[in-house]
Amino acid sequence: MPEYADYELTAQERKAKELEAEAALKAKVQGGYILESPAEMTPGYRKALVVQLTVQADTELMSAPAYWFAARHAPTANTQVSAHAIIQDELAHANIAYRLLEDLGESKEQLVYGREPHQFKHPYGFDQPLDNWAELVVANGFFDRAGITLLGDVHRNTSYGPLKRALVKVDMEETFHLRHGEVWMRRLVRSGRTASALLQRCVDWMFPMTVEWFGLPDHLKRHSGQLDYRLKGLTNDELRQVWMASTVPLCERLGLKVPAHYCERLDEYVLDYPFPCEYDPDAKQWLFAEGEISWNQVFERWKGRGPMNEIYVESIRRSRDTVASWFN
Amino acid sequence: MVQLATLRARHPGAWPAAGGGRDQWSAPKEAPPEDGAAAVRAVLCEVLDPELPISLVDLGLVYGVAFDRGAARIDLTFTATACPCMDFIKQDVRDRVSLEPWVRSVEIREVWHPPWTTSMITERGRKQLRGFGVSA
Repeated sequence: MPEYADYELTAQERKAKELEAEAALKAKVQGGYILESPAEMTPGYRKALVVQLTVQADTELMSAPAYWFAARHAPTANTQVSAHAIIQDELAHANIAYRLLEDLGESKEQLVYGREPHQFKHPYGFDQPLDNWAELVVANGFFDRAGITLLGDVHRNTSYGPLKRALVKVDMEETFHLRHGEVWMRRLVRSGRTASALLQRCVDWMFPMTVEWFGLPDHLKRHSGQLDYRLKGLTNDELRQVWMASTVPLCERLGLKVPAHYCERLDEYVLDYPFPCEYDPDAKQWLFAEGEISWNQVFERWKGRGPMNEIYVESIRRSRDTVASWFN
Repeated sequence: MVQLATLRARHPGAWPAAGGGRDQWSAPKEAPPEDGAAAVRAVLCEVLDPELPISLVDLGLVYGVAFDRGAARIDLTFTATACPCMDFIKQDVRDRVSLEPWVRSVEIREVWHPPWTTSMITERGRKQLRGFGVSA
């Protein structure tokens, strides 16, 4: 509620006062200040945090059905246990982020059950089917590495105390998922030609998928509330580079071809294909030959969601009404 | 443009633990060590738990090491009987120990007695965990 004195202010003066409060909070968090409660937040900070946490929660939640469908391809009882341990972790991570959103006055009920499938904010990669064991382990190696790159950065840099503490557990468990991916990629490569070819096929569609996941390049992103409010530390391009700096050498060690290389002159990883470009989800193929597209076209594709979007969302929600009816 | 050298200097913690610490394994020793068991234990100090950034030795999972004419035998326990990481841990142990040219074979014996508890974590391990924000 505005203070009584605020009613004396003109709309213009009020706006100026709000901007001043936002600037003051930005300066404070840039100096290392950690917020502990929603009462300390400005509307701008709260909004940026809600967006960040919603993406985080939805991503964790939607990775669960994607991995769960794929876990049916686990080759042994032990691997079945490992795959389901990962799925259980992802659901718990989603729950942590939704729980933090509840502290900010959002409703977990509404977020999980009240939205249309296309309104979830997870990356396009988790709208895709994972059709065999190789695709699951490359998802662990690539997608979970993207997750740990993004969340590790939030963990080290966020100005929101409750999130910083919650991410200790999340980061450790994501490390296990990444290990699962790496160990299995190594095993499959060692096993021979059939598995190696399958693995290469996974890399071909999942590498560009993850590169795109990090979003708009810095030169096109004019403004980032998340950086201003110190909700994260690195820019999109920096995070993309961190991911490539561990993913490209891993693939090279395993003899897998990736469409990116390290450029010594620039001291960064450079993509060997038009970026961004169009994707054919049915063929699981990037249309490199058709050349570069605009980021607006990418956003359109993301907004349209991928082939498994509704199936994944419904797989999480399907029994709710049935069970609810037993209690009536 | 992002320069990785600048990025590494400014944000040294930004890199995910690639290979679960495999990138930090030291080069194998050429000459056979005098105390084989101690040398095997020393290389096991480079094998990290799949989740926590501390070694299996500091986590208290290595119950015993024996070494006889090139054959290493490691008594290993796990934090839980159906720990989903068992496979990775065994593979990492096998890969790291057999990296040494003076090791001809690696045998891992799963040991369940006494059951592992957090009291088996070494003082150094406890310190590392606290630094990571976990109390044990």
